[in-house]
Amino acid sequence: MSIDPALLPLLVAMAAASFACRAGGFWFMRFVPATKRIEAALRATPLAVMVGIVAPAAARGNVAEIAALALVAIVVRTTGNDLVAALAGVIAVAALRLLG
Amino acid sequence: MSFRPPVTAAPPQGATTAFSRSGFLRGFKRAQPLAVGTFAYGIAFGLLAREAGLAPLEAVLMSATVYSGSAQLAAVSQLGPEARAAGIGFGAIVATILLLNARYVLYGATLRPWLGALPAWKSYPSLFVLGDGNWILAMRAWDEGERDAAFVIGSGAAMFTPWLAGTLTGSFAGTLLADPARFGLDFLLVSFSAAMGVAMFRSRSDLWTVGVALAAALGINAVAPGGWTIVGAGLAGGLAAWLRASPGASRAFRR
Repeated sequence: MSIDPALLPLLVAMAAASFACRAGGFWFMRFVPATKRIEAALRATPLAVMVGIVAPAAARGNVAEIAALALVAIVVRTTGNDLVAALAGVIAVAALRLLG
Repeated sequence: MSFRPPVTAAPPQGATTAFSRSGFLRGFKRAQPLAVGTFAYGIAFGLLAREAGLAPLEAVLMSATVYSGSAQLAAVSQLGPEARAAGIGFGAIVATILLLNARYVLYGATLRPWLGALPAWKSYPSLFVLGDGNWILAMRAWDEGERDAAFVIGSGAAMFTPWLAGTLTGSFAGTLLADPARFGLDFLLVSFSAAMGVAMFRSRSDLWTVGVALAAALGINAVAPGGWTIVGAGLAGGLAAWLRASPGASRAFRR
């Protein structure tokens, strides 16, 4: 087990790029005035990102994924348990793919 | 530098953000279902890294420092034997990583109100282990009233370890879970996002956020699927909320 010395500078650059993304937004917000509008934008971002994660999967138009997403929504609304709903969605997708 | 407390419901003067072992453990436990998927994807990455000619130690080192599934997969595809012979495209690989991790800029920004009052030696390590899954869990937990900032690094640590373990497993002998999609694990993050999103959806202003984000996501996805969909949706939804809110100072977070 060894490490190619030629790979090390690349690893350092990759790690720096990755951490810059993770830390950059947090750091930058130090200098952003704390207004109600910024607060509203930060509050809305998680929901908007979740839409950004789910939308491409739904847009592919596969029956299994769309049915599973509907199931997730129904389970959250009826049980109120988001964890159970998320896992139900995964199981539904695996089962539907097995059948289809 | 002022020491304004970071929470909206004005806490007593001089209050600091909690960062406790129990908060860490709550995050750690809450992330366990997602950790299973992380382990499976770690195996998939380890396999690809081996195919690209990376030694197990190199693959694990990459997982521990870059810590981003999509970015590592893209980087490794540019590290194969032929690519090495032709000279590694340093700039191209770094650009790929910046693009694929651009969404973390947004995630980090949303954590400012929560982690902003922590000393840097607590907040930046929390950000180092930030991933999609644990960020979504953290945002949901905050929404439910969790205020202990150690929740963030606790849930992150719960994902970081199986990522390394999976990478090592895959790069040694990973054929067991070579195709995470067979078990629906590729759907894990989508399913979690949908569940948390539905659970967090409350008011008419949320409808506005979702509508604008959805339009942006579908539009970008149709033109350029991949890295920019999440970033575009997040920015569009945030901008929509910004426009709808009334101007004025907020005491919500410390600068």
